[in-house]
Amino acid sequence: MAKTYDYLFKLLLIGDSGVGKTCVLFRFSEDAFNTTFISTIGEDTAGQERFRTITTAYYRGAMGIMLVYDITNEKSFENIKNWIRNIEENASSDVEKMLLGNKCELEDKRQVSKERGEQLAVEYGIKFIETSAKASIRVEEAFFTLARDIKANTEKKLVCIWIIFVFLINLYIIVNHCE
Amino acid sequence: MEDNQEEVLEIFTQDGVLITTAPATYIHYLNNVGTLLIVEYPNSNLTRCIEWKPLDLTIDSDVQDQEWTVVSTVERRRTYSGSLPVDVNRSKHLKINMNDIKSFRVSHKNQKLTFRDGKGDNVCSFIFQHGNCDGLIAVLKGILKTIVSRRDKHVYCILDDIKNPERQQLDKSFAELNLFQEQSSAYVWKFVKNFPNRPYEATMEAFSKITDIVYRGPEHRLMDSEVHNILHRSLEAIENNTTTHSHDEYELIAHVPRLPALKEYPRGRPLSFEQWKALQDSEGQVEDVEAVKLVIFRGGISSNVRKEVWKYLLDYYRWKCSHAEQQNLIKQRNEEYFIMKLQWRSMTKIQEDNFTDYRERKSLIEKDVNRTDRTLDYFAGDNNPNLQVLYDILMTYAMYNFDLGYVQGMSDLLSPILYLMNNEVEAFWCFVGFMNKVSSNFDMDQAGMKEQLQHLHTLTAFYDPEFANYLYKHDSANMFFCFRWLLVWFKRELSQQDVMRLWEVLWTDLPCQNFHLLICVAILDTEKNILMENNYGFTEILKHINDLSGNIDISTVISKAEGMYNQIVDAEHLTDAVRLIIGLPILGNTSIVDSKEASPDISDLTTNGDTDEVSYENALTHSFL
Repeated sequence: MAKTYDYLFKLLLIGDSGVGKTCVLFRFSEDAFNTTFISTIGEDTAGQERFRTITTAYYRGAMGIMLVYDITNEKSFENIKNWIRNIEENASSDVEKMLLGNKCELEDKRQVSKERGEQLAVEYGIKFIETSAKASIRVEEAFFTLARDIKANTEKKLVCIWIIFVFLINLYIIVNHCE
Repeated sequence: MEDNQEEVLEIFTQDGVLITTAPATYIHYLNNVGTLLIVEYPNSNLTRCIEWKPLDLTIDSDVQDQEWTVVSTVERRRTYSGSLPVDVNRSKHLKINMNDIKSFRVSHKNQKLTFRDGKGDNVCSFIFQHGNCDGLIAVLKGILKTIVSRRDKHVYCILDDIKNPERQQLDKSFAELNLFQEQSSAYVWKFVKNFPNRPYEATMEAFSKITDIVYRGPEHRLMDSEVHNILHRSLEAIENNTTTHSHDEYELIAHVPRLPALKEYPRGRPLSFEQWKALQDSEGQVEDVEAVKLVIFRGGISSNVRKEVWKYLLDYYRWKCSHAEQQNLIKQRNEEYFIMKLQWRSMTKIQEDNFTDYRERKSLIEKDVNRTDRTLDYFAGDNNPNLQVLYDILMTYAMYNFDLGYVQGMSDLLSPILYLMNNEVEAFWCFVGFMNKVSSNFDMDQAGMKEQLQHLHTLTAFYDPEFANYLYKHDSANMFFCFRWLLVWFKRELSQQDVMRLWEVLWTDLPCQNFHLLICVAILDTEKNILMENNYGFTEILKHINDLSGNIDISTVISKAEGMYNQIVDAEHLTDAVRLIIGLPILGNTSIVDSKEASPDISDLTTNGDTDEVSYENALTHSFL
């Protein structure tokens, strides 16, 4: 199976059940929306709390994590703090994170203001974006922003590895030369 | 060193040491108890060797029965025949030159010691049956320069012998350069160690020390092995990956008994209406329940009689009841259902506002009902009345079993039942019967799921040690990729028709209650080559397994699982741990019972091989919290 891509990033979407994780993903990957999505089990990631011990297994090796809440559901926003704590305990510390307030097309049902989302993101030092998988608002932007940040992060690391390699090669040349 | 008369200095001796891994030449010693020695040959340029000699010529049968060891090169394994050489003199003792050993690892509460070569492969391992290996480690630390591995605190890396001429040369060249105060290689190593934590500082600090050095044009020579080693180690440290390469330098041998051949078990015909009627007496009682179940196990149930038989399989109807008693029962169950339904239907707004638990589960049910099998005609379209029934049953079940309430996955289990029954009350009671069988899947602490994943791993390790070892080396021994299969009994992998067939087969509890685990083992056995050939890791395995959805031929899988079950049952080396899982009586005669195996602990998931055990356990703790 020949894979053609320049970069491969493992991203996770986490958040409470029903905030629209799969829909966000589906909007990004298929540019489509389906109201009758099945609840996700055993893939990244089931939202219900009791599956958290299992979902944390998927954190390993994740390069980016989208924390998703539903702007019409206060509880899902409050739980973001728990999800972040969960990430801190289980994912690598340099994983790129991003906060997503989904369902922003439902302005009349809004329970969480945009300002509160921004404030929370600032608190954790992560980026924030309000999206709508249904109305196709800023979903692509969210994924590309996260991917760009991961890429920048990865390149920083690659530069370091390159430097150390050059250093070791030089060292080796010196050693051989002086024998 | 072939000369027996050669002067020998025994630095360390310990009796009662069981050898569990050894190079190919010493295959006949495996699983024997003997004496372990560290020996120095002063006349051979101070060569030190690890030696082991058997206690006597008889094989301790208890020891021989010991659980086999999973090794990385299983395809090269040989089966221990049980014969022993008659001539046992010193030159035939197991003897391994200490120079070939680059690290050793302590495990099993300091009772097990494994020596590894430069490539990280196990050369030999010993179990200290009397006490532990602390004494030996102290001796080794005394005669060798060791450091504790930064990746695994149970691993001691042996720094290259100071007497090594190449090493001396290298040190000399560095000394002349007068670059570093410390020993050169140690410096580089330290640099490498610091690198992941503070890459820029470490790099710049190192650079600052060589900027003064002028070197003339680069001469390309073969890389000094020392520098090569450092480079190799450094890259390893940066990647922080566990890499294990199989290679041909040693054959890792273990006693791996073979399973009997896989036999074919063709599927039978489904239980027909005529058969079903013939098995009932005039009163409607089913005398020979086992006969009915056997037919269902072999071939499932015909669609024209499925609805009725499911009610028996799911304990809504009683096998031994007459028609009259049955009618009475149905009436009672009917009343009971509507009482419970009324309880949540009559909840006032204020009550609901003051009842967070209830409100939350109601909202969860609403969300999931809206996304349960909507592609099936039965649940398709807006305002489909069947969705309301699905919702009502789940809400009523939440009142029936408030402690459990509603957990994601339950709507999946109800959907085929409701589709078949097409009756709210009947579907509810059948769902209750199904939930009684699988409610542990939905434990708050996920204990039931963890136990099944653990059992699945034990079965996989028994059936196919090589594959189990692969999973273990690829962070997947936790079997999490089978989570969805087990949680909703393959509901998400199969079509509605196929899942109904599988479920009725599994409900018979034939040939054992955990037959669903054998279904998993059978599917995995079909997929393992793809997983291994592509060298899939945790994420890729999960993706591959998830993508199998819709591509599983359930009849083939069931018949293969039956074949595998019989292979396991007939295996001569069947262990109690496996017996327990497949519902056979425990014999209790497995010698040297592995403590991990005896306790239904999470650590049971560990394969019998001990490579990277700690990293595995860490990963597991990680995953299981």
